[in-house]
Amino acid sequence: MILPVLGLIFGIILGTLFPVGISQAYAKLFSVALLASLDSVFGGLRAAAEEKFDNTVFISGFFTNALLAAVLVYTGDRLGIDLYYVALLAFGLRIFQNLAIIRRYFLKK
Amino acid sequence: MLSIKQGRYSIALVCMVLGFMLAVQFRATQDMKSSLPYQRVEELSERLLQTEKERDNLKEEISTLKRISGQETNSKAVKDLQRLAGVVPVEGPGVVITIDDSKMISKTGENPNLYLVHDDDLLKVINELCAAGAEAISINGQRLIGTSEIRCAGPTLSVNNVRSAPPYEILAIGDSQNLETAMNMRGGVVETLKVWGIQLDIKRVDKVHVPAYKGVMQYKYAQVAEGDGEKP
Repeated sequence: MILPVLGLIFGIILGTLFPVGISQAYAKLFSVALLASLDSVFGGLRAAAEEKFDNTVFISGFFTNALLAAVLVYTGDRLGIDLYYVALLAFGLRIFQNLAIIRRYFLKK
Repeated sequence: MLSIKQGRYSIALVCMVLGFMLAVQFRATQDMKSSLPYQRVEELSERLLQTEKERDNLKEEISTLKRISGQETNSKAVKDLQRLAGVVPVEGPGVVITIDDSKMISKTGENPNLYLVHDDDLLKVINELCAAGAEAISINGQRLIGTSEIRCAGPTLSVNNVRSAPPYEILAIGDSQNLETAMNMRGGVVETLKVWGIQLDIKRVDKVHVPAYKGVMQYKYAQVAEGDGEKP
């Protein structure tokens, strides 16, 4: 449990130090991608808790989810369909579900 | 404690990427808040205020410089005209009247507008003061001159095209006894306004300082007619 937290902290430090910025036009896409990654991480933690973690599935899921979410929102923007909120809702729901399952495992041990 | 046996490293790696994204997104949101129209409006209004203040200061400087250089004619006629026009600050005994919105709570179904100070309330007060012989009047620092307007401007009041909000402070120079009694006349302004609980406070003061008119005077259409009329 300590290793992921350390990774997170290291990542935040890296992000603050590096002068990487995103233009305002892509901020929306980036935020959805961020949510997708968050969902993936919680999914991975849940799988690890259930002891059916698959490395390939996890890593590929992480990147494809984030990319797909961004692409989906971008297309939606172009077509005039607000898929942004759909993505938010879907990922948000899943995050909470995963969190609940992780909590159960956490309490059991 | 939940122990993760499988894929600790990949989860850690992904967490690192996530942290990186979080930091970037955080900074982007911060930037957005500090750069966009948010600031712009505030900045512009600030600048406007500053410029107005600067203008007033410069105007004051002009008048002092004029006085020093002796450009201002000292003849009695000019002084009288200046006093009449309201371009010089004047002092003298008079009254200070403060008017504020009513503190009473309006009853249901009643028009809440009745409990607010309106332009016509102020006009009535000014009219009464003029009738009682006030020689110079200002509202919230705006000297009333021949072309001054007292006008409703949303929740505020516009005098000399300068807006101000309640409470309104009216300074009037004249016989303070006369001015006060004119206001307090039975069936007069004070009595009418008191019905709605509008707060009107009259104070007799030995020395009232009424500021000069600070606006611009320009006559675009009115030309001095020549030939007819009796010369002064």
